[in-house]
Amino acid sequence: MSSKVHVAGVGSTKFGVLPGRNLQSLAVEAARAALADSKIPPDKIRCVFVGNFVGGIMTGQELLGPIVAADLGLKNVAAIKIEAACASSSAAVNIAHRLISAGAEEAVLVVGVERLTGAPRDALTTAMTAAIDQGTEGGAGLTFPGFWGMVMARHMHLYGTTREQVAAVTVKNRRFGAGNPLAQFQKPVELEAVMNSPAVCDPIRRFDCCPATDGAAALVLTGEALARQFGSPSVGIAASVLVNGPVRITDYADITTHDGTVQAAQRAYAISGVSPEDIDVAELHDCFSVAEIVDSEDLGFFAKGEGGPAVAQAPSARNTKVTINPSGGLLSKGHPTGATGCGQIYEVVMQMRGRHPNQVANARLGLTHNGGGTAAAVTVHILEALS
Amino acid sequence: MSASLQETLKGTVHSHTIIRVPDKAHAAMAPFVLLLVELAGGKRVLGHFAGSDAPVIGARVTATVSQQETPIFAIEETP
Repeated sequence: MSSKVHVAGVGSTKFGVLPGRNLQSLAVEAARAALADSKIPPDKIRCVFVGNFVGGIMTGQELLGPIVAADLGLKNVAAIKIEAACASSSAAVNIAHRLISAGAEEAVLVVGVERLTGAPRDALTTAMTAAIDQGTEGGAGLTFPGFWGMVMARHMHLYGTTREQVAAVTVKNRRFGAGNPLAQFQKPVELEAVMNSPAVCDPIRRFDCCPATDGAAALVLTGEALARQFGSPSVGIAASVLVNGPVRITDYADITTHDGTVQAAQRAYAISGVSPEDIDVAELHDCFSVAEIVDSEDLGFFAKGEGGPAVAQAPSARNTKVTINPSGGLLSKGHPTGATGCGQIYEVVMQMRGRHPNQVANARLGLTHNGGGTAAAVTVHILEALS
Repeated sequence: MSASLQETLKGTVHSHTIIRVPDKAHAAMAPFVLLLVELAGGKRVLGHFAGSDAPVIGARVTATVSQQETPIFAIEETP
């Protein structure tokens, strides 16, 4: 394994309900932190990619690339917004990785940012539903909780996954979130509270859902030589994969297996030369509690149908080989959609540095998985400790 | 609408949910049952259900539908 592209620096705001903050201020705070962390001089940055999903719909603000670059004092740089729904900023990381790998750029700043709180619930639901094909399934009233409700019902039917096993995901991730100062939810929750929370889209209940979140995270990506020249606290990117998957629930061969995740993971393992058994820590896209079960199976950590029993039998998740979502995941750290991908990489970078508040002992290899839409745009990144 | 533009769909319930938190366009309908139905030949369609409780997976359902409309299924047979 030889990582030619490094995450040279990372930065993040707190994730949560952040009244009074706009997209620009959040993005700039995270970006400045990442630039300072990287030790890379700002004049080395020639590209700024801003991952954002619904900034226009929720806040009326577009053109985030040039605005964020200008507010950082960066001039004459390529600055654009990249959108892939909830995978916007990890998709931006993949594009940056391609440019640096090809030698076209030596340093790229990637920022993910979103503001989702403060709007009425139906307005937020409508904004999120923009990532569902409006010509077909959006017209029928499908929402993302509805999509995952159907996945959960089918997973329970096929594999005997229980309501308790699914609720155990939320319990685990809330426990992790309580240890992460960046997390939106800072208190544990009991299994009964999850199972008795109000129904949203049966069998999905409120505590099965990630919250609406404000926040930003940023990464400085560089080639190996630049990172070494400036003494960046680098973590290597062993694989960066972005693929598309089915865009409609009717297109799935099996709604409990998400082809985009399977394909992205298999390609990432092949590129990096590692297997699921080698991964120490994973931050995966638990937008709903059952999603962590499905994703953990599709990523190869568990056989199909064993994701539920695995989380219920190891509620701390520290006594299994791979620790899943020690940040608290989307369920507890929060899901500022456009920022989530960069936020996941931020978390794994801190694990690889050995400086995470929920540190996984001897973590050397980490994985992030980020899905946009109905797992229609999926990224998998494999990160390696270099020191 | 001409009857000749209508067709009858028959299939089995592949999965289901009850949308209780809808988007703005469907707020007046909520709560409502959404079905993923597998038709003969394997094609799947998304449709509504003429009832407030979701049918079991595997139940046989039928709908008469016009082009561009979301089908509204009813129970034909429960396994």
